[in-house]
Amino acid sequence: MIAVLGLVVGVVAGLLVRPEVPAVVEPYLPIAVVAALDAVFGGLRAMLDGIFDDKVFVVSFLSNVVVAALIVFLGDKLGVGAQLSTGVVVVLGIRIFSNAAAIRRHVFRA
Amino acid sequence: MSNHDETAENRLRKELPEEVPAAEASEAVDGAAEEQAPRLTGRQRLAKGLWPPRVTRAQLIVALLLFGLGFGLAVQVASNSDGDSALRGARQEDLVRILDELDDRTQRLEDEKQGLEKQRDELENSSNQAEEARRQTVEKERQLGILAGTVAAQGPGITMTIEDTKGTVEADMLLDAIQELRAAGAEAIQVNGVRVVADTYLTDSGNSVSVDGNKINAPVRFKVIGKPQDLEPALNIPGGVVQTLEKEQATVTIERSDKIVVDALRAAKRPDYARSSSQ
Repeated sequence: MIAVLGLVVGVVAGLLVRPEVPAVVEPYLPIAVVAALDAVFGGLRAMLDGIFDDKVFVVSFLSNVVVAALIVFLGDKLGVGAQLSTGVVVVLGIRIFSNAAAIRRHVFRA
Repeated sequence: MSNHDETAENRLRKELPEEVPAAEASEAVDGAAEEQAPRLTGRQRLAKGLWPPRVTRAQLIVALLLFGLGFGLAVQVASNSDGDSALRGARQEDLVRILDELDDRTQRLEDEKQGLEKQRDELENSSNQAEEARRQTVEKERQLGILAGTVAAQGPGITMTIEDTKGTVEADMLLDAIQELRAAGAEAIQVNGVRVVADTYLTDSGNSVSVDGNKINAPVRFKVIGKPQDLEPALNIPGGVVQTLEKEQATVTIERSDKIVVDALRAAKRPDYARSSSQ
């Protein structure tokens, strides 16, 4: 419950504050958000499976974000930033879908 | 979240039905939380996690991370949906491409502008030239109008009055006077209200003289525009017009004036056969 509240408060704060995104972080933010979403879905599924561990969640969340940002950064340096970030989004999207499918099985039994 | 999780889930799913009886048994014995947790279905666990709210370390950490996620999500969505900053999220190569396109477009528009400006200048020039030509034509028309007698003229000149009480003045004398005046640079001449032009003719009619068919009564008054200092001596030269007339008992008076008005007009006549050969 507290976690869901945290998400809601975060969205509301982001909409209200509307901070200026620093130019350095700008290209990485969307990928980082998608990576974090992947971690959150994974965590939700783990919770439904009963194997949720907060330490694992924290590490996976942060490492997901960092690795995604790193890949984009590397891609930009190599000159294939657009393709690489597309690839990252595709992979993360597939994982999100599979996690969502597992969650669905748990919640709806279907 | 990964292959490892997948296998864990699969094992869990397979084992769950077999565990149920044992778990039920243990629940019946003491219902310890440690034993209870694996038996719950996913849905129950979800409900349990949601309500009642418990402030645990795990919940707080997850809340913090989710706060970060929500914040980032909202910021990204907000910055993406800003209409004017559509370029903010664009990558470097896209920006370079857009810039190139804009440069090309600017170049094209600049070329077009130069072409149009050139065209405009040409049109302005040609209209200026047309205006100038028109002005010159008007000027020419006025000059020719003075010669042809279709417009009135004014300027310095002389007035010559011939008092001819005995009717001895004849057409050829007046013609001589007109020739002499023309030779001296007279630009516009009128005789008693009749403009003298190129095809003016003088005839004797009885006691008096006709100019272009109009009978002229004494005294004959010439109004001449020209340089007075030239005109008067030209008439007064020995053996000239004045002396010839005075021999015939006529009295001639000449007076200079700064402003002579020659206002007798003549209708413009279109020649029947002669056509301008220059266009």
